[in-house]
Amino acid sequence: MSFLKKYLVRYWPWITTSIVCLVIEAFCDLLQPTIMSRIIDVGVANHDLTYVLRLGGLMLLITATGAIGAVGRNLASSNASQRIGADLRLDLFKKIQKLSLGSLNKFDTASLITRLTNDVTQIQEVVHRMMRIFIRAPILAIGGIIMAIYLHPPMSLVLAVVVPIVASLIYLNMRIGYPYFGRVQKAIDRLNSVMREYLAGLRVVRAFNRLDYEADRMQDATVQLAKITKTAMRVMAVFSPGIRLTVNLGIAVVLWFSGYLIDLGSMEVGKTIAFINYMTQILHSLMMISRIIMMLVRAKASIDRVEEVFLQEDSMHIKADPVRDIPALGKVEFKNVCFVYHGAEQPILDRISFVCQPGQTLAIIGSTGAGKTTLVNLIPRFYDVSDGQVLVDGVDVRDYQLRDLRERIAIVPQKTLLFTGTILENIKWGNNQATEDEVIEAAKVAQAHDFISSFPGGYQTVLGQGGVNLSGGQKQRIAIARALIRKPEILILDDSTSAVDLTTESKIRQGLQQYTKDLTTIIIAQRITSVISADQIIVLDQGQIVGIGNHETLLETCPVYQDIFRSQIGTREAL
Amino acid sequence: MGVNAQPQSAKSTSTQPIINLGGLGGRRRGPRGMPVEKARDLRGTVRRLWTYFRGQRRLLLLLFGLILFSTLIGLFVPYLVGKAIDALGEQTGVNFDLLQIIVTTLLVAYILDGVLVFLQGWFVAGLSQQTVLELRNATFAKLQKLPTAYFDRHTHGEIMSRLANDIDNVSTTIAQSTTQLIDSVFMISGSFVMMLILSPLLTLASMITIPMVFGLTRTIAKRTKLFFKEQQQNLGILNGHIEEMITGIEIVKAFNYEEQVIDDFAKINQQLCQVGIKAQTWSGFIMPLMNVINNIGFTAVAAVGGVLAVHNLITVGIIASFLSYSRQFVRPLNEVANLFNTLQSAIASAERVFEIMDQPEEAADLENAIDLDEPEGRVEFVNVTFGYEPGVDVCKNMSFTIEPGTRVAIVGPTGAGKTTIINLLTRFYDVDQGQILIDGKDIREYHRASLRKVFGIVLQDTYLFSGTIEDNLRYGRIDASKEEIREAARLANADHFICRLPLGYQTPLTESGSNLSQGQRQLLAIARAILANPKILILDEATSNVDTRTELQIQEAMVELMEGKTSFVIAHRLSTIRDADVIMVVDQGQIVEVGNHQQLLAQQGVYYRLYDNQFKNLAI
Repeated sequence: MSFLKKYLVRYWPWITTSIVCLVIEAFCDLLQPTIMSRIIDVGVANHDLTYVLRLGGLMLLITATGAIGAVGRNLASSNASQRIGADLRLDLFKKIQKLSLGSLNKFDTASLITRLTNDVTQIQEVVHRMMRIFIRAPILAIGGIIMAIYLHPPMSLVLAVVVPIVASLIYLNMRIGYPYFGRVQKAIDRLNSVMREYLAGLRVVRAFNRLDYEADRMQDATVQLAKITKTAMRVMAVFSPGIRLTVNLGIAVVLWFSGYLIDLGSMEVGKTIAFINYMTQILHSLMMISRIIMMLVRAKASIDRVEEVFLQEDSMHIKADPVRDIPALGKVEFKNVCFVYHGAEQPILDRISFVCQPGQTLAIIGSTGAGKTTLVNLIPRFYDVSDGQVLVDGVDVRDYQLRDLRERIAIVPQKTLLFTGTILENIKWGNNQATEDEVIEAAKVAQAHDFISSFPGGYQTVLGQGGVNLSGGQKQRIAIARALIRKPEILILDDSTSAVDLTTESKIRQGLQQYTKDLTTIIIAQRITSVISADQIIVLDQGQIVGIGNHETLLETCPVYQDIFRSQIGTREAL
Repeated sequence: MGVNAQPQSAKSTSTQPIINLGGLGGRRRGPRGMPVEKARDLRGTVRRLWTYFRGQRRLLLLLFGLILFSTLIGLFVPYLVGKAIDALGEQTGVNFDLLQIIVTTLLVAYILDGVLVFLQGWFVAGLSQQTVLELRNATFAKLQKLPTAYFDRHTHGEIMSRLANDIDNVSTTIAQSTTQLIDSVFMISGSFVMMLILSPLLTLASMITIPMVFGLTRTIAKRTKLFFKEQQQNLGILNGHIEEMITGIEIVKAFNYEEQVIDDFAKINQQLCQVGIKAQTWSGFIMPLMNVINNIGFTAVAAVGGVLAVHNLITVGIIASFLSYSRQFVRPLNEVANLFNTLQSAIASAERVFEIMDQPEEAADLENAIDLDEPEGRVEFVNVTFGYEPGVDVCKNMSFTIEPGTRVAIVGPTGAGKTTIINLLTRFYDVDQGQILIDGKDIREYHRASLRKVFGIVLQDTYLFSGTIEDNLRYGRIDASKEEIREAARLANADHFICRLPLGYQTPLTESGSNLSQGQRQLLAIARAILANPKILILDEATSNVDTRTELQIQEAMVELMEGKTSFVIAHRLSTIRDADVIMVVDQGQIVEVGNHQQLLAQQGVYYRLYDNQFKNLAI
């Protein structure tokens, strides 16, 4: 909650204005019944037309003032809530962008997006409505009670009975109703999840002929949802009429008592009408208050989720005075590096040590989950080591200014991510100062130029939703071009040619060798053919290096490497 | 899923939570003036919807009666209250007898009203949920019959939204809004009638506000519609930006793009803020101005009423009643517009749902379709031509014959049409021209269900659902015994790790099996296929994500399994290819070479070049 305070304080002029207008508005609302009662009691009863007209004019004046108050309040609260929402969104976005990957991994991507969109909007809505209802309702309720008592103290005893009953009914409604809300939500989640699974595995469902089975699952989920929703709606259906009934009974009682009081001369008809009006007003205010509370409860969930992100302390510490002006050569060294994921028991990487000289090609091969991607992620310092050191150009990566470090490195990750925009824009992500010639050159090396040119729009072809859809291999090649244009000293290819066929892959390899002789290339691959020509190959198995050397050496000495070779190529004799 | 010709970019499949019980029985309220989605064919859709509600005609009638009754009471009450006020204000002193009668009647009326409203809510709940259920089941049944192409063309999020959100919008909203609408209409007309009965002059006085109301709504609605549309657009852009930059945050960091991305965000954010302020401010004008107009009306009534009372043409009680009725007249009037909008959006939802219902179904089994019993596993393609999009052929005049028990490896550059062969074999898609024969008969002559039983498929995306491991494996053959399941798992080298799990075969899997590693999931998928013991196996790069050592073992088991079966393997791995009986080289939709490994090498064609690349660097 505390993070919200900052924003509320920032916009206090708007908020205060809104509250002041609100008070005016509420005040005017409160006065109306009294004036009306005067019109009737004094004006009509005494046949005093001028009085009627005069008070009528007064009532209009008050209404107009109330309206101005309402308009002002709306203007102020819209400004306050929208600005607060915008600021909150921006700050949250900044926070997310600035967090290290290690901290970010604690959140699911979809949930981060929801927090930025739905949750912030919820909070914004609440702030807006709060100012409208939250202050107004209590004022009207309390004011109404006061005015009623002022009108006729003895009669207000009726209030003393009606109000507590209504309040407890409202309270019961929330207590009983709210858990149902949660249950309905769960049933909805279940339905969505069944649906999602069905859609994701449609082909398998059809291939294995499990249509009936899936239909049953679906039926189950829908029936459950219908049942619980029906029950929830029915539970809710009790309270609203119940509350209205209580108030209506109160009105009947008021009418009855009024009879006696008027007879005794201590009450007038007009006052009765006013009294009834106030009672209705109090009821509405009470109901408004309950609605706010429900709103707040739902908003609380959003507030908590947003706060969770803000409270994330960055696990990565940036040095205050980083080392600068380190010559960029492209040397990478790992010294006894260990890495354990937060909360995991087993280390992903265990005592990894190697040196990669500038200009060398280093290949990393090993089974899935062996730690290959984690290893290369340590180089641009996406994560910090748990033990040991990672050195780039002789300096520990933790001593670098992040920007400086990452300038030297270009990475093509396993999952290709391109953004909406033209192909040109996507490649220029690597270096937005690049000229078009440089872009084309990079695309040529990446074996992308040909297929890009084959599109009618060429490099101006728009990618993404509503644009052209590329095959996996084409996307990978654009990602490689994006990395190359950066002219890095260190190029990391994380299984980046998995969707590319062998011919194209070898052409890319050749192109890379010619592009820059001094480029340190680190390749992660599954296919042994991708690593065969590397200067140095690291074989990873369960987080440890079980073999290091070139292809011939490993074929002689490393059992794991031999296994891999055999499974993919076959025994040497068969060749 | 790897079998599209046009792979779609990954889209998030999240849907927003639906059902909003609306707090204390209140309705869902959007900000006033928010533009609503309009239905395209109002009358037609309403008529279609009616067929779903028609089954509960009696309930509807009952509901109608309840509403009518409670409205009548609602109309009666102000009259009574007015009479009570008169009884109180009689010049000769309070008329206690009359008062007693009135108050008692009022009590009865109130209690009756309460019960009626409760019953309304009770029955509406049953009515709406029953309709939801029927609608959902009908839609899902339809989905099951739709061709695979439909699912490839629409994102999951979209389909789910229709099944979950749209259907919910339809039935709940329609049930509730319709009752409110009927209620409002009765109230408005009833109150108007009562007002006329009580005093035509006063009625005239209170009508001066009507033109004001129209004028107000017209001028404001125009502005707010514009602003809200702009707001929605900006929101869409912002959300798109957010989704991209967070999903791709690794790239953003790797390319040092954080500052730029934040700047872009700030710009869009600011735009959104500005237009949001405008939209909300303008829409906030409506209520207070309505209030002023209403009160002008009331003042007019009070003034004219006062005049009439002075001349003893009217009693105070009648004025009080009148005011009550006019309030009961005005309030629903304000809300009818809103209700109409909500209904419009519900009908638009209904249209989206019916769109699914109207989709052409997968070609049904022929009338005289036969079952494929005792399959041998001979596969023939005869001049098959096919394309996902009209005019873009992925397969052109493809022909081949595969004898039973042959191991076929399909190789070729990406996008060449390899996975399409699989799509066609299993009738996920039908050929445009030509025929596919299994055991000598066109596959369209078989029952689809029986045809698919012949195949065992292991795709690149494993599909495991939330259930126990045993349930998942049983997907292959529902009547398999526990021993058979274990044996299949053992052959796939899955038994080993399954037994290591705390609950063994009863271990529940999370949605899409994400509590296992990728390799383990592959093994389960293979075990499932083994259990199905099909005559024709289809493997799509199945073993590429598995631990190398395990992979060797699987390959051995698969060789065992493939014995006597026809198998199609799409693979890049040389070892898989090399051991095949027949290799089909596919390039640009055509089979360019067919033969075994030695024969193709000798041809020195496409295969030779592919193969050569692998060994260029092998220093042997």
